[in-house]
Amino acid sequence: MRIAAGARIVLAVVLGAVGSFVPGLRGRSDAFYLLVELVYLPYVTALFFASARPGNKLVLVGGPFGDLSLLFALQVLVAGAGGAALVGYLVVVTFAVFTVGRRTAAVFAAQAIVLTLVAQLLVPESRRLSALDLLPYSVAVLALLFMIDRSATRQAAFEAQAARLRSRADTILAHVADAVLVMDDAGTVLQCNEAVVRVFGQPQADVVERPCASVLALHNGERILDCSKGCALLALGHADGALDVEVWRTASDGRRQPLLASVSQVAGEDGSVQTIHSVRDLTRIKQAEEAKNLFLATASHELKTPLTVIQGFADTLVQYPELDEPTKAAALRAIRTRCGELARIVDRLLMSSRIEAGRIQLTIRAFDLVPLLRERVTAMAAATGRQVAFEADADAHLVEANPEALVTVVDHLLDNALKYSPDGDPVTVSVHAAGGEVVAVDVADRGIGMDPEQVAHCFDKFWQAESSDVRRFGGTGIGLYIVRSLVEGMNGAVQVRSQKGSGSVFTVELGLRREREAEPGVGEQTSIREFMRHIGVAPGRRP
Amino acid sequence: MRYAVGLVNVGLGTIYFSYGLMTIVDLKRGWRTNGLSHFGLAWIAMAFTCGPHHLDHGLSVLAGEVPGGPLDLAAVLVGAPAGVTWFLLRIEALGGGRGDRFVSGTPTWLRAVAWMSGLYVIVLGAAVIVTLEHSPAFTPRFTPNILLLGLYCLIGYYLLRTQLANRPVTGGWSVSGLALTIIFPTCGAMHALYATYAAAGRYPVTWHCLLIDWMAVPAAIYFVWVVRNLSLGTMTDWNLGAQGARLHLA
Repeated sequence: MRIAAGARIVLAVVLGAVGSFVPGLRGRSDAFYLLVELVYLPYVTALFFASARPGNKLVLVGGPFGDLSLLFALQVLVAGAGGAALVGYLVVVTFAVFTVGRRTAAVFAAQAIVLTLVAQLLVPESRRLSALDLLPYSVAVLALLFMIDRSATRQAAFEAQAARLRSRADTILAHVADAVLVMDDAGTVLQCNEAVVRVFGQPQADVVERPCASVLALHNGERILDCSKGCALLALGHADGALDVEVWRTASDGRRQPLLASVSQVAGEDGSVQTIHSVRDLTRIKQAEEAKNLFLATASHELKTPLTVIQGFADTLVQYPELDEPTKAAALRAIRTRCGELARIVDRLLMSSRIEAGRIQLTIRAFDLVPLLRERVTAMAAATGRQVAFEADADAHLVEANPEALVTVVDHLLDNALKYSPDGDPVTVSVHAAGGEVVAVDVADRGIGMDPEQVAHCFDKFWQAESSDVRRFGGTGIGLYIVRSLVEGMNGAVQVRSQKGSGSVFTVELGLRREREAEPGVGEQTSIREFMRHIGVAPGRRP
Repeated sequence: MRYAVGLVNVGLGTIYFSYGLMTIVDLKRGWRTNGLSHFGLAWIAMAFTCGPHHLDHGLSVLAGEVPGGPLDLAAVLVGAPAGVTWFLLRIEALGGGRGDRFVSGTPTWLRAVAWMSGLYVIVLGAAVIVTLEHSPAFTPRFTPNILLLGLYCLIGYYLLRTQLANRPVTGGWSVSGLALTIIFPTCGAMHALYATYAAAGRYPVTWHCLLIDWMAVPAAIYFVWVVRNLSLGTMTDWNLGAQGARLHLA
């Protein structure tokens, strides 16, 4: 629809330009070209704009209507163009069959015939077509319409049906999350879907026409499946009486990849029996199960420790009402402290859950980082009684971030740094320009540090350096996950440098405030964006 | 008069060429990160058809092929302050500057500009009627100018609509936006006057100018099409290259 509308604009511009350049045009010819330039061109341009909405019926019908009107003007106004107009009518009606369908095209055919007859009344007698000219023309229009319609309708129906079936099958196969492989009776892969790339890490081209046993190399228990006597997976399924069989294979990175395989057989086009394998990667499900178990163990332990203390002090207060006031007050303070710990643990768990659900919304604004960091360092040092140093290379660093989220980030990093520095070594927070438009905040400790493997996973959810850490240092294993999520939510980045036994440095990088964007009504750098802004199509602004 | 008309048109043509070059530079800079910009291409097409039109007209007047008319000069001079303002702001932006100024509220001078614009249209209309009073010859050779008048006014409408919509939000006006809003209708007026002089027989229509004007018509249609699609959200361009300040964690 849009191509036809664009083609009409090109035709109108070319015709208009020709009319402008051809010397000596006078009278009716001039009128025709003026019609093209001042009526037809704006009309088809409007149709082109309207074609932005797919399936706009007004455009579908308006196009041929405008074309027939233009041909009528050509017939009436330009001497010697009667034959060209008749050919034009035929072309327009023919195209209309494909674009608007038989019924509407029949109306256009009738319109073409009527316009031709009316034109005969308007042109001078010397230019009129004879009845012998008009009759075959009218018959030709109708016959053409009929023939094209029949063949077009049939062909379109067959093509549509075939395309629908093909598209449906392709779509289903392409969107299936499981890897689907079709094998011949010799076990050679005939066909596979795109999910093979994701599940097996191999391009489709490397899988097709290769033996299934070598491509998949599946294991059941500790035994590799032997397909030399037919499909081992099929036999395994029959033996277990189950449709799905849990198997595994060695992935390209060397890890054990758990899989759920199902198998079935269908008749091939040549009558042979083909085997279809559907294989699902269970890695994530297994990991999620492990994470859930780890989380339950960690959370239970973390919640149990303060609860035990609270319960102990509460029992003491109930059993010994004769205790003196200072002792009671100390017990209540201990209960309050442990309640605070419980609240923090629950807050972290809730925040982790909100991050996971995508329900945390950060409003980015410009603010000075230095006083915020200084305040958090002072508060943490006072709360823990530990030495926390603060260094800044400038009096102020304006950044684009969310202050509340940044407080959470800094608190988590400081909490971590103090926790993993059990010998009371000092912790340092420093802020400095990191080149370009970036400010870096370093939180450095001289604690137990991490090895490269631990560094690689330390921002993962529920991860802790060692399982024994749960007891040695406490924690839910989601602090650094929250840190990374919040920093990335502020368009920043967080990195860690660490060495086992020598401590760690966590670096948070944040974007500097950009003066130009912070002021209302101030333009963007490029002419293109500036112009777009003024035309009302800049980000977030639609007229 | 002849030299004045010729020189201001040559100057305007040079400015349009500079706009086009600046936009090519912008397009090249942003291509890798933001991809192709239809808007940038359309603006380049506009600049490189408007520029040659004014250069051709200016040089024809200076060479004595076309006599310069007072309305022609007035039309260019009326659009010149807005054109020069926008041009200087774009140069400033190209050098890393702000590229815009903000006018708080609606000062008296700005109200006066609005009234003067209305007055200008009335005077222009009257001048066209007076010029065409004696047997004008209207032929297809002038129509690209009429089409350009309509298309430029349409672009001006889109710009004006945005400025008026932004006014309550920002509490003022963007100088860059106002300048751009003024430029397009004044360009349309220049084409209208050119057609008027041609119809009155004062300006001969040269083949080269006619060719340039016919090239400007599809360029302007392309520009309006891009603007309209961007307005409707049916086209992705550099407007979606940057996200807003509010973001969602996923």
